[in-house]
Amino acid sequence: MSGMSGPGEPYRPGAPAGAGPWDTRSEAWLTGETGEVSEAGETGEEPAVEDGAGREEARSHGTGGGAGDGVRAGAHAGRSGTYAGRTDVGAIGEGVNRTDAEGPADDAGRAAETAAGQFAEATAGQPTETAAESGTPGRAPAARPRTARPPATPRRAGADPVKTLIHRHRELCERAVDPLEIAAGLEAHGLTDRTAARFRHRDVFSLAEEMYARVAAGPEEPPAPEAAPAPRVRADWAVRSLLPGALATATVAALHLTHGRTRLTAAAVGVLAVAVGLRAALRHGPLGIPGRAPAGSRPAGTGTCTTWLLAYALLGDGLLRAALAGGPHHLPDGTADGPWPLVTAPVLALALACAPAAWCAHLLTAHARRRLAASRNLEDFTAGARPLLLGTVALFLGASAGLLALCAAALDQPFAHTEYTEAYAETLTLGALLLLARLLVVHGFAHAPAVALTAAAAAEATALAVVFAARLPGCAALAVPVRTVTDACGTGAVPTLACGAAALALLLHASRSLTRASAHTRHTEDDAS
Amino acid sequence: MRIGLVTEGGYPYVGGDAGPWCDRLVRGLGQHEFDLYALSRSRRQEDEGWVPLPPHVTRVRTAPLWTAEDDGAAPGRRARRRFTECYGELAQVVCATQAASAGQEARAGEARAGQAANAGQAASAGEATSAGEAASAGHPAHIGRTAPGVPARERSADLADRFASALYGLAELARDTGGLTGALRSETAVRALEHACRAPGAQRAARTARVPDLLAVAAHLERALRPLSLDWYEDDGLGAVDLCHATAGGTAALPGLLARHFTGTPLLVTEYGVRLRAHYLASGTDGTPPAVRALLTAFHSRLGAEVYRRAALITSGNAHTRRWQERCGADRAKLRTVHPGMDAAPFAEVGEQPQDGDPDTLVWVGRVEPAKDLVSLLHAFAEVRRQRPAARLRIVVTGTGAEGETYLGHCRALAAQLFPDEADGPHAVGDNPVSFEELGGPEAPTCADAYAAGAVVVLSSVVEGFPAGLVEAMFCGRATVSTDAGAVVEAVGGTGVVVPPRNPRALAGACVALLRDPERRARLGAAARARALELFTVEQNIAAFHGLYLETVARCPVRRAALDHDGEPLPFAVPAEAHVPGHWAAGPQERAVPGGGIAAVPGDGTAAVPDTGAAAATPAREAAR
Repeated sequence: MSGMSGPGEPYRPGAPAGAGPWDTRSEAWLTGETGEVSEAGETGEEPAVEDGAGREEARSHGTGGGAGDGVRAGAHAGRSGTYAGRTDVGAIGEGVNRTDAEGPADDAGRAAETAAGQFAEATAGQPTETAAESGTPGRAPAARPRTARPPATPRRAGADPVKTLIHRHRELCERAVDPLEIAAGLEAHGLTDRTAARFRHRDVFSLAEEMYARVAAGPEEPPAPEAAPAPRVRADWAVRSLLPGALATATVAALHLTHGRTRLTAAAVGVLAVAVGLRAALRHGPLGIPGRAPAGSRPAGTGTCTTWLLAYALLGDGLLRAALAGGPHHLPDGTADGPWPLVTAPVLALALACAPAAWCAHLLTAHARRRLAASRNLEDFTAGARPLLLGTVALFLGASAGLLALCAAALDQPFAHTEYTEAYAETLTLGALLLLARLLVVHGFAHAPAVALTAAAAAEATALAVVFAARLPGCAALAVPVRTVTDACGTGAVPTLACGAAALALLLHASRSLTRASAHTRHTEDDAS
Repeated sequence: MRIGLVTEGGYPYVGGDAGPWCDRLVRGLGQHEFDLYALSRSRRQEDEGWVPLPPHVTRVRTAPLWTAEDDGAAPGRRARRRFTECYGELAQVVCATQAASAGQEARAGEARAGQAANAGQAASAGEATSAGEAASAGHPAHIGRTAPGVPARERSADLADRFASALYGLAELARDTGGLTGALRSETAVRALEHACRAPGAQRAARTARVPDLLAVAAHLERALRPLSLDWYEDDGLGAVDLCHATAGGTAALPGLLARHFTGTPLLVTEYGVRLRAHYLASGTDGTPPAVRALLTAFHSRLGAEVYRRAALITSGNAHTRRWQERCGADRAKLRTVHPGMDAAPFAEVGEQPQDGDPDTLVWVGRVEPAKDLVSLLHAFAEVRRQRPAARLRIVVTGTGAEGETYLGHCRALAAQLFPDEADGPHAVGDNPVSFEELGGPEAPTCADAYAAGAVVVLSSVVEGFPAGLVEAMFCGRATVSTDAGAVVEAVGGTGVVVPPRNPRALAGACVALLRDPERRARLGAAARARALELFTVEQNIAAFHGLYLETVARCPVRRAALDHDGEPLPFAVPAEAHVPGHWAAGPQERAVPGGGIAAVPGDGTAAVPDTGAAAATPAREAAR
């Protein structure tokens, strides 16, 4: 019974769609003892006592194929099966179309499992009838010499052949959304207008209409759909999200251990390595853009802006401070305590934060999908998705703060008390901005992140530019706003303000757009199939 | 004449659907000019490239259906409002209770008013008629689910109009804003669907739709409506052709529909299989939630009905398809059956030689699938052997699918079980009376050889579309025994024996009768060949389409107002006789074309009007040719 369709497979009564269903008929031959069958046939009597599944099957095929699929509803197995079989053979089964007179073999096989016992009893009681009743050719073993046909038993006029048909195609009728669907299904099972004529219908369409009308009010409330399978945590993206952090750590370590030209080389190699790692981390997994990104959804410049923002986090504060003081007089030497310091802790923390970012995005997707399945309507989903989004961002910020503290401690860059909050604010706003931008891009909103990132980068660049421009004669007033801000809150205030404002704008945007159900549709079909 | 051929996932891509047919059509109608508008189904298809195109294919425009660019720019407020209105209307129609079948029922009911005694008072509700039949047959009479006939018909027509206006509204919006992809994916669309599903009067299944169902429907609609965002409907695109020929219904016909709406180009739709039916069969078993299926079915059925309503002519490959088209709302007057054409040349030699093959051999040729019911054939052959012990059966396999492999193995086992090997004498090596051969092997190098080897060609399918193998056998002049499935009866006519499907005894009886009677075999074979050559050749297919093109253009000519170089209407540019083939009574819609939009037909020497009048004069010229 290897070919038999399992219970999980779609029900296709009589559909010659698989090798399996057609196997059973003759599998009985192959497995069963053909000699006995033909003997039984020759003697013209049904072997009443048999054992072995093959035998039972063979009999169930031979006698009650039609019963077989009538019996699908297990409860009525024996009785209704017999009824169906007789009705078919009697009323319609002139052998003109086997669709009617016999069931699909897989159902027959199933019937053999469920109802073989009862049915065998039922038929064993009337052993002489069976051969005649099985008048449909091909039912009884064809190897049996059939020189003289058994006399046909008087036909049993079925009270309601359509009812039998409905019973047989019950699932088709119940799932049908209109009569045409039943007609299509019936035709796919080999029912033709000629067959429909025997149900006193002009064509298959009109038969299907009667069936559609007679199947009562239709399916009950569909069961609550199970949640779409949540995206799996896969090892590849989990590992890959760790890649930028690991590479950044290695780079920072190399910077600490090297000097002079080697340090420059190490820095260059490290930057390249981190860039490659970041790219790998963002290609797949929850932070990857599903499918192949259409050209329109990735505006040019997002990458440049991100790079600029990170570079500013590394070197910008030092440059701004030096510029305000009239410098810079030296190039950065890669140390944190030089005249133009290189602040590695925030960027290292952000690189390490790729892993929490991927997890946060994963959590957001998984929860959103679950909520999607559970929501009754769109408002319901939106209401539930907003806290989810905010929670995700908060989780990420918490993780980033922890990582920053770790990095600061490890790198031995104890910030002064005022600088401490400043560094936190700067890093966290930048982290939030990047996370929100990525989340929006991943969910198909590419426009707003591009604008926000560009604005933040431009603000930082402007701050630097006006400080240098103020050195031109007569332009001193240009630097006044920057000076005021830095005097009040330190140099870190510039990036904090820029990134903070952009992140806030993105957060507002995301809380409107990412909480829509349509943002969480998977457009996987765009992937080249 | 300039013909815009719209294909979906087919020609001119290598290995596309209906590719050979389109290729033969285009090559066969070299006197016309062809513009190809191809929608591709996948990236792989695009990467595989095109088949070589004949020189009279003047332009090829392609667009992907598998991806859509979304520029992400938010449309303006006015565009958004228009979109919301149109999409909401579309969603409401799609969610509305199905009354379309009632409208068709009306016609069916009228058609058999003479037969059914109660048809008059049943006021055309076909279900009522069938209920009457059922009642007279002793069935419990059931109550029809449709509303009383006449209001249902009006309502159905109203819904069809609303669907059409919403669809064209969306198309106009797409033309104005440059694309609808973003809007169709947006929350607005999902919200409109939700609103329509919860509105009173929505289908029962639609009311059960949950959020994931709405999203699925919205995504599917977005895919189905991608052709709206194409830029094919300008005057230099489909507006420039005289006739738009869609090679399939559904999505492929959508560009034709829009071209007809925007530029008045007549539309000819060819369907070798009804899209809606395929949709039913595909969606029924793949576990799609009922709400989604109900809504998508409604959409496809409305779209199909609109295509049928607007098309000038609709062709089908066989009577079965035609019945479905009628059922789906096609006007019977527009339907033409054009049988698929097949190349008769490879079978000419076999068909013309007088003697037939081995008088005791039955041949089955085809692709092994469970639907072919080879088991039945083997059982029938057992019966044949009992009456004709010398009979042999050759099963020539042209291909197998994944399921087919298993099935074929099973059939082999069954054959070995049923028929022991036989030898001529005690010292000879025996072999099985049933042989399984691969096409291309030494025994059967070509299909023609395979058919030539047998006296009778057998077909035992349970489910069949258009039986190409049977027609090939007819070309070979072989008597055939086939089961009554699909278009078999239509193809074979009276030139072969047809038995009910799944009836091995009847099959065996027919085979034995033919094996015993060589004269009848020869008679049937000759008749079959004559019939096939008359009906199923490539030439008749091409000639039929040529005729249909002329008929379409004659009945619905594109009237392009002639303009001079300044864009002003040119009086008397089109001679009066150019309008002769059109309708006399029905006032044609004059259509103005902006300057420069006229495409003159190249090589047009006969048209009396220089420059711009040529296109308008084309129908007359073509008709006179």
